[in-house]
Amino acid sequence: MKFQVNRDVFSEAVSFAVKLLPQRTTLPILSGVLIEASDAALTLSSFDYEVSAQTSIAADIQESGRVLVSGRLLADIASRLPNAPITMTTEGSRVTVSCGTANFTLLSMPVEEYPNLPQVSEQSGILSAEDFAAAVSQVAVAASRDDVTPVITGVQLEVSAGSLSLVATDRYRVAVRGIAWDSAGSDVDAATALVPARTLQEIGKTFGHSGSISVSIARSDERELIAFQSEKRTVTSLLIKGNFPPVRRLFPEIVDNFAVMNTAELVEAVRRVSLVLEREAALRFSFSVDGVKLEAVGSEQAQASESIDAFLTGGDMVVSLKPQFLLDGIGAVRTEFVRISFTKTDNPNKPGPVMITSQTSKDQAGADDYRYLLQPNLLLR
Amino acid sequence: MSKQDGSDRQVSDDAVDSSTATILHVDLDSFFASVELLDRPDLVNRPVVVAGNSMRSVVTAANYPARKFGVRSAIPLSQALRLCPHAVVLPPHREKYTYYSRKVMAIFDDMTPLVERLGIDEAFLDVAGARGLLGSPAEIGRAIRQRVHDETRLTCSVGAASVKFVAKIASGRAKPDGLLVVPADRTLEFLHPLPVSQLRGVGAATEESLTSRGLRTIGDVAALGLPALQRAVGLAAGHKLHELANGRDPRRVTPGVAEKSAGHEVTFEVDVTDAEVLRRELLRQADAVAVRLRAGGWVGRTVVLKLRYSDFTTITRSRTIAEPTDLGRRIYEEVRSIYDGLGAHRSVRLIGVRVEQLSAKGDERASLWDDDAEWRLAEQAIDGVAEKFGRGSLRPASLIRPAGNLVNKGRLGDARQKPRAGD
Repeated sequence: MKFQVNRDVFSEAVSFAVKLLPQRTTLPILSGVLIEASDAALTLSSFDYEVSAQTSIAADIQESGRVLVSGRLLADIASRLPNAPITMTTEGSRVTVSCGTANFTLLSMPVEEYPNLPQVSEQSGILSAEDFAAAVSQVAVAASRDDVTPVITGVQLEVSAGSLSLVATDRYRVAVRGIAWDSAGSDVDAATALVPARTLQEIGKTFGHSGSISVSIARSDERELIAFQSEKRTVTSLLIKGNFPPVRRLFPEIVDNFAVMNTAELVEAVRRVSLVLEREAALRFSFSVDGVKLEAVGSEQAQASESIDAFLTGGDMVVSLKPQFLLDGIGAVRTEFVRISFTKTDNPNKPGPVMITSQTSKDQAGADDYRYLLQPNLLLR
Repeated sequence: MSKQDGSDRQVSDDAVDSSTATILHVDLDSFFASVELLDRPDLVNRPVVVAGNSMRSVVTAANYPARKFGVRSAIPLSQALRLCPHAVVLPPHREKYTYYSRKVMAIFDDMTPLVERLGIDEAFLDVAGARGLLGSPAEIGRAIRQRVHDETRLTCSVGAASVKFVAKIASGRAKPDGLLVVPADRTLEFLHPLPVSQLRGVGAATEESLTSRGLRTIGDVAALGLPALQRAVGLAAGHKLHELANGRDPRRVTPGVAEKSAGHEVTFEVDVTDAEVLRRELLRQADAVAVRLRAGGWVGRTVVLKLRYSDFTTITRSRTIAEPTDLGRRIYEEVRSIYDGLGAHRSVRLIGVRVEQLSAKGDERASLWDDDAEWRLAEQAIDGVAEKFGRGSLRPASLIRPAGNLVNKGRLGDARQKPRAGD
């Protein structure tokens, strides 16, 4: 195998291919990146049986062939090479990377043992890359990071009637958002797929500026697979098995008690006041016609409080919220104002959840349908 | 038995010499009810019971005005309302109890490092080393009562004595809102007029056996002498009773190090191969572990199954669950699933259930939903019944066995329900 390739194009392609590789793997060959040179294209792939990434770039192929080398090492090398064309050649089990005055020799791994990447099935629909990236970043933050309950470490994707909604929860909060889904002539207008949140976050970052993303959901026989394709890049992921909890029913149907605040002011105040809080402690929010008062109590050495404007509809309300959980919700609201709605409950041991939604002005609800539900702590005097 | 309504209350005056009464037992007065009344000061002088909102609930706690009508913890709410129709029923808030418990325990910790917590609302304190700094045991007791009241508006009762069990009896006699000091040289004078049922370890059966011999007071038991007592109640129990009746209790106050695990295990008299028998034993142990967790105010996150086979090879398998629990049902489902996942079994000699990674209940974060909500209610109700009628009076149907079948203790395999007429 021998080819010459543009340094920036190559470096970007390697970094895309290795990004989704796990930090540790039981099988060393799975930490490799597969480089295939044929005709006028160079293809780079990685696969760990759960997630695969593949991209094709233009290169001057002088001799076709396949080689498998350590992914992270190649990515590190590629990103440090001088700004000159890269030449890669193989001789037996040795791979030589030359670029300007720099030369590297790598040992190739047994390419014949490398697994075949999953086949991508027919396209199910098309998404706006920008909307999808935004929705993933708003929703995935609520997914659980605790592998004890695998089903909630994923983001649930639900296709129905021209829209794709994303749902994530870690039991303490739920985030939901819908974006437009173009079924693009396929017959897929209702489907669900539970995708690992970490993978989805990488996909959102990588594909965010690529215009549109083609999605394929395959739930046939043993394989449950989702694929995302854009330009010459493809990512596939196995779906998480199991039933996502029915969290949508936790959202209130009617909300008549809510407060609207300036988003930036609220974020600033929460960050300031929570400085004195001990780990895991909650902030107390007292809403009234005069505004909202934030109080950090429960710490012996220090207390803090701050009042900011809030436009209250309905009765006064006091809730106790974990600041980070609140910030995750407010931070996902992309509007100048934010609305916090209160729900009623009959259970004296459990306050009703609060819901965060966007608000373009103090009177006008936001255009997106992002919703973030958060369980307050029990109020202790 | 004490009347529990404060009518036979006994307290010390300021002049008492407490220098020898260095062990304090502090007990919050009708704790759950008092916490609820903090939010409803208007109800303080009215009878109040704390109970769930169904007529089938049992009473979790009752304040003193309600106790005067004979209302007790663990009686059915319907019965409580028959005894005291104008009682106000308040729903329980368990998180608040944990919160106040911790505040109060922090006050104890300020007095001495030797604090032994007993459940959520009482503790033993050894104040022998604190006397120089904080004054006599009676002064420390008064300071504790004052601080508890100042910082929480709750009241507690303090018993001070030279040994643990006497301090505990003394705090019970001082209730509500009192302090009773029993100096070492007046221990017997204090103990001997009390009924035998006040002694630790004297339950209904022992009391019956003692009273049938005319032994009604602790003094009667002390006067009997060891050999006669051992003939009456057995060697070990006789020895223990003799020591207690003479005011001797060697137990020291042992600071409650944070418990790391709670577990049960049983060695069968005959090795068991029947998986159903083993699963039933897992259910029984899971329930027992959960009861201990709830009593101590703990929740645990890791569930461990231990199995020892006939050839003495022993395996332990653990699983971590999403949310810390104190529910027997959750613990059982986890150990059972571990057990079922092990595949075929050889015959089992020992089986055990343990819960690890304990933390104080109330520390867990508030979640949007509770997968175990219904079981939680059920097990709280069982706790209520157990307080009144003893453990085992209510248990899973699969653990019911014919009464009197105690011969095969530890071998539930022999307990099969007999079909009854009408089944």
